[in-house]
Amino acid sequence: MNCEEAAKLMDGYLDGELDPITSQTIEQHLLECPKCDQAYKIHGSLVRAIGNATPYYKAPAELRERIQSSLRDEIAELPTRNVAQDTQPLFARREPRPRAIFWETSWNWLALAAAIIFAAIIAFTLVPRLQRPGADQFLATQLIASHVRSLMANHLTDVASSDQHTVKPWLDVKLDFAPPVVDLSQQGFPLIGGRLDYLDNRPVAALVYQRRKHFINLFVWPAGPGAEKAMNTISRQGYHLLHWLDSEFNYWAVSDISEKELQEFQQLFEQQIASH
Amino acid sequence: MATANSQTESDSGNSMLGAGGKAPELRPVIKQDVASFEEALLPHLDAAHNLARWLLRNEQDAQDVVQEAYLRAFKSFSGFHGSNGRAWLLTIVRNTSYTFLKKNQAVDFTTFDEEIHVAADEFASPATILEHGEDAELIREAMDALPAEFREILALRHQEGLSYKEIAEIAQIPPGTVMSRLARARGKLKEYLAARIGKEK
Repeated sequence: MNCEEAAKLMDGYLDGELDPITSQTIEQHLLECPKCDQAYKIHGSLVRAIGNATPYYKAPAELRERIQSSLRDEIAELPTRNVAQDTQPLFARREPRPRAIFWETSWNWLALAAAIIFAAIIAFTLVPRLQRPGADQFLATQLIASHVRSLMANHLTDVASSDQHTVKPWLDVKLDFAPPVVDLSQQGFPLIGGRLDYLDNRPVAALVYQRRKHFINLFVWPAGPGAEKAMNTISRQGYHLLHWLDSEFNYWAVSDISEKELQEFQQLFEQQIASH
Repeated sequence: MATANSQTESDSGNSMLGAGGKAPELRPVIKQDVASFEEALLPHLDAAHNLARWLLRNEQDAQDVVQEAYLRAFKSFSGFHGSNGRAWLLTIVRNTSYTFLKKNQAVDFTTFDEEIHVAADEFASPATILEHGEDAELIREAMDALPAEFREILALRHQEGLSYKEIAEIAQIPPGTVMSRLARARGKLKEYLAARIGKEK
């Protein structure tokens, strides 16, 4: 790789958006070229400064109310419009056959019976498959709901502290297990506090971390017997969920930060536990 | 045949009528729609407001645009089947913001070049710029001075933490363009800072 190529890819590299092989090639080049290395460092500081120093304009509370009431106004107008549109074709279809002859009626009954059987077949074969999402999907819905609720209801933490030695004992007393708690403020994910939550039919620990102006809820509860190391991600409604298991615990991290950052968080968390 | 027809019509959410029900039964159906709409999209209100506020640079306009965007989103919500509600909503907020900017003929591309005339030797060095890295007011001002397409991409990347793929979807540009546009936006920001800081010295 030459300097020109390295300069071109600088932003993609700093944003963690390049494929691993290209990233490695760049890292190799930076080791060999002090000039590019310096340029990357300066640009990297600027990129971080933009993220840290610019304000995030949260919506004022009255805007939510304004939107909700404008939606109510909107639906108040809807029904009359829909009735007028939908009833006309129905009447039009009925009028041309005022006399119901016997065989015509029975034909309709047959069609109806056939449709019912058809619908029943569809219902019995397809619907259970559609409605029974994987256990993970169901849990994901619960997790997102819990995450959103914690941000909406002003109930982010039961114990607000950036000190892991305050949060951990508080949780230990209230749960039948002792979740690992580590602070990651050095690494850009400060601990905000902890909370009790109820998920998957059991009380769980929720650890709250912050990333810039975004929050991460990390739900922790003991892993079942025979748990193996595993990891998977789910993305839904603009939220990312990262699930991983170690020999003792089940972890679900939920946030609206990018998947990459969530994975970075996971790695830092694991490293920090390991070093404790 | 009539049965088959009413089955397909039931997709629109007005099945109550087809089944011979009375008009008032429509209300609960629509109320449910509102509930699921609010559940899916109200959590992204801060993101919507933040993007509009950066694009319009004015609080009152931002609120009007966000409200309008939510109404538009509600009307086309039945057509939304994706999984990323935030990206979908932000696309609508963005489009509504641009419509607003165009209608009000906001002068968007002149601010930067007209405000700053600095001789080349007056530009601050990168090291000096970084000393001002925590000057939030200065950096906000710099970002506000950029053209809309740059403000938008910086807000999406640095404040929402969105991936290039999501940004491409919202800004309606090819994924390959995201990196180069971000690079230009940051370059312009750097230039602005260099000029401003150099001038103050």
